[in-house]
Amino acid sequence: MFSDLVFRLRALFRRDTVEGELDHELREHFERQVSKYVAAGLAPDGARRRARLEFGGLDQIKEECRDARGVSFIETLLQDVRFAARLLWKTPAVTAVALLSLALGIGANTAIFSLVDAVVLRILPVQKPDELALIERYNPRWGAASPSFTNPLWEQVRDRQDVFSSVFAWGQNRLDLAQGGAAHLANTVWVSGGFFNTLGLRPTAGRLIAAADDRRGCPAVAVLSYGFWQEHYGGAPSAIGSTLSLNDHPFEVIGVAPSGFFGMEVGQKFDVAAPICSTAIIDGQQSRLDQRSWWWLTVAGRMKPGVGRSQTAARLQALSPGVFDAAVPLDWSAGGQQNFRKQSLVADPAATGISGLRQQFRQPLQVLMGVVGLVLLITCANIASLMLARAAARHKEIAVRQALGASRGRLIRQLMTECLLLSSAGALAGILFARWGTALLVRYMSTARNTVFLDLSFDGRVLGFTAAIAALTAFLFGLLPALRSTHVSLTSAMKGAHALEIERSSRFRARKWIVASQVALSLVLLVAAGLLLRSFAKLATLDIGFDRNNVLLVQADLKTAKIPPDQQLATYDQTESRLSALPGVVSVGRSVMTPISGGAWNNSIHTDWSKGVTGDDVLAWFNYVSPGFFETLRMPLLAGRVFNAGDTTTSPAVAIVNQTLAHRFFAGLNPVGRTFRIDDAGGKLGPPIEVVGITKDAKYESLRADIHPTAFFPATQVPGHSEVETFEVRSAIPPSVLAAPIQAAVAGVNREIPLEFHTLAGLADDSMVQERLLALLSGFFGALALLLATIGLYGTLSYLVTQRQAEFGIRMALGAQPGSILRLVMQDLMAVLGGGVAAGVCISLATTRLLQQMLFGLGGRDAVTLIGAVAVLCVVALIAGYIPARRAMRVDPMVALRYE
Amino acid sequence: MADPRIDLPQGTLDLLILRTLALGPQHGWAISERIHQISSKVLQVQQGSLYPALHRLERRGWIKARWGASDNNRRAKFYGLTASGRRQLQAEESAWRKLAAAVAQVLETS
Repeated sequence: MFSDLVFRLRALFRRDTVEGELDHELREHFERQVSKYVAAGLAPDGARRRARLEFGGLDQIKEECRDARGVSFIETLLQDVRFAARLLWKTPAVTAVALLSLALGIGANTAIFSLVDAVVLRILPVQKPDELALIERYNPRWGAASPSFTNPLWEQVRDRQDVFSSVFAWGQNRLDLAQGGAAHLANTVWVSGGFFNTLGLRPTAGRLIAAADDRRGCPAVAVLSYGFWQEHYGGAPSAIGSTLSLNDHPFEVIGVAPSGFFGMEVGQKFDVAAPICSTAIIDGQQSRLDQRSWWWLTVAGRMKPGVGRSQTAARLQALSPGVFDAAVPLDWSAGGQQNFRKQSLVADPAATGISGLRQQFRQPLQVLMGVVGLVLLITCANIASLMLARAAARHKEIAVRQALGASRGRLIRQLMTECLLLSSAGALAGILFARWGTALLVRYMSTARNTVFLDLSFDGRVLGFTAAIAALTAFLFGLLPALRSTHVSLTSAMKGAHALEIERSSRFRARKWIVASQVALSLVLLVAAGLLLRSFAKLATLDIGFDRNNVLLVQADLKTAKIPPDQQLATYDQTESRLSALPGVVSVGRSVMTPISGGAWNNSIHTDWSKGVTGDDVLAWFNYVSPGFFETLRMPLLAGRVFNAGDTTTSPAVAIVNQTLAHRFFAGLNPVGRTFRIDDAGGKLGPPIEVVGITKDAKYESLRADIHPTAFFPATQVPGHSEVETFEVRSAIPPSVLAAPIQAAVAGVNREIPLEFHTLAGLADDSMVQERLLALLSGFFGALALLLATIGLYGTLSYLVTQRQAEFGIRMALGAQPGSILRLVMQDLMAVLGGGVAAGVCISLATTRLLQQMLFGLGGRDAVTLIGAVAVLCVVALIAGYIPARRAMRVDPMVALRYE
Repeated sequence: MADPRIDLPQGTLDLLILRTLALGPQHGWAISERIHQISSKVLQVQQGSLYPALHRLERRGWIKARWGASDNNRRAKFYGLTASGRRQLQAEESAWRKLAAAVAQVLETS
């Protein structure tokens, strides 16, 4: 085998030597044969003649020897590639257009696929990821499983389970690295002692968190992620043993995690890992470790080799009653406790990690994958058109080569080599484009409070995908032209242009089909883009019930600042009044829940008129706000009064409700002056709360969600105390200018308070991130498709006009009016356009249903969008067609006929 | 015109070349001459198939080429049998003998 390889390689790379040797050898043979015949008595001339006859064609023998050497395949390939490159180089404009569109088409596919790969397909970089399983709580009442656990529940799972070789848990938090002032948040992951060990990870430096580190009352230790270590410590070994401040508590750095590991959650990366037990240090008195209704952990396990999934499921089922019974939240109502005990543990494969991002973007990514696939098809159609035109120009060359004995297969192979060369070059450029594109897309997926991180290093799967679509593309755009152009009648080709008319018209028919399908596909894309853009526009211009512009949100964390609960209210009040005194500030309010930030606080409520309200309809959404809140957000008060200084901790409980709540719970009566009660978790009704005002409906946790029945309470009447509140600051100057004076003002109250800044408009944008991404990309690709189809249409009609120039000349010489020539060309255009549009409308109607779920405020078969898309396409196509048609109309009969 | 020469059946050329080279390294022309002579001028090797065959055998590692001086003191490429070529020769020889015997038997009995 090895000698074979050496032989072939020598033949390939020392080609000239090998060829020289062969030549020498054959000549030697020939000379000897001649001398033999001379010796036998022939005259020298006769001897040579006879030897040459016997010998046969020298070049043919050489070719056969090359075949025998086994390199001719590669040699032919190199030859073809050289030839193809020369040809492509000779028509730089066509090549550039083809390359650019291929780079865009393949690049877009690679970009979207690498996102799909990173978000959905990629396996975690841990030991034997296939053995990992996510453990969830299945609730028969909801018929659904939830992945969140409380610490007591997790401890039960950890201590009682025997189906997994080991189990581990983790929970996430963002903790402040800065000590006071503007917060510098680090993604912190709380991990159980078995986390790193079960995943089979080895430290880059120091040691990782082990079982011994995760005991109640443990010291505060932390492991850094590799990226965090590089960024903040420059990768210095001295980081080990140093102290890191998290929410103003010192943690000792004990090690660094391996470089490829970003955490269990795809879409995020952790900065710091600390043992679960150390949450007690951060939490202070209200430690989450013994909280039975604080759901903050995710649990996973490593399956024992040889234990099947059904076996695991059965064992988990058997363990469940004991686990849930031991961790039941004792403050829940009897019914609630009973439902809690009915839950069971289930396990799902978790080799790809878990991801909220995946749930959010799986469907949009599928849609985008379809969109870029269509774009690539349209690109292929365009290049196929170009190739057909090029083939027409090379018609004679191909005929000559066939006449000289080149087989059709050989010619097709050569033409396909050209296409593959083109698509490979396009793919290389596409990969560069994709690298840039994916980075941009990830930025678009990120929001102010959730920076999306994806491991976008190209893996074999992405490169394989790109190679496959490059090959497929070459096949799609190359095969038809190659088949057509090699299917020539030699005699007619040699005779000259006249005899080619019939073949030309058949080639033109092929181009018509190509363009019509382009029109159809681009219409589908335009409709999809139109739907997604309109849906986004509806969402963006939606009346959300308050004015999102010019409002800065400042989140203050009094707990990290270690301000005792009894002083918190005073601190908030003092801060609020300081902020309102700042120059440029119009008004200030504050609230416990930040509007449209995704967070929610709800509970059941009851009134004397809500007996008929059952199920989830009894829920109302709550917020605790200061008097300035409504004015600052410009939420109009429809009746009654806003809160004032008279609403204190000790004054009667009051509330302001929105229209939806008034309607649902007060049966259309004016609720002002009436009362409602909160249904506490324990199953008993709270004290009556008097409604003092009604506000206009407004969105609560996100723009997309429906408007909830909402009740606002005075910030002074928060049950217990609230440690983190948000100040809403409406300003007349840009919010970015305001950040520094606000920090100074807050520092004047207490230096230790960490602040987080956002704008309300930014939050609104962030809650539309998925819609914005889809609208942006589908709009871009829709426009691209339209452009490509237009180029295709224009090119085909130009070609037609050039081909029929002589015919038009004759017609005009015989007295045809320019208008009738124009009509001739436009007829062709209309046929192509009409067929394409009809097919496109059918495909759109059949497929837009797939988009339905992603649309906001309009249906998948929205007539306005469909008609609009058809109109845009037709107008652009008619303009593109009119230019060549007008040229046909202006043909000078004399010039046209002179060509003949 | 009655030609005493017959064309070689498919696959036998390799065997003949290997057999010829078993006697010692030879250059191309000498190989064809030798086959011609030993076969009492019945077997004629076409140059068009000899050289591709030599290249093929060399690629398979059964023969090895080396440049040397020929009898008339000119530079020539000599082909010699390798160890694996020798084994191949044995295998092909016995296969050929079996085939020939079987064909002869069939011809005689019918």
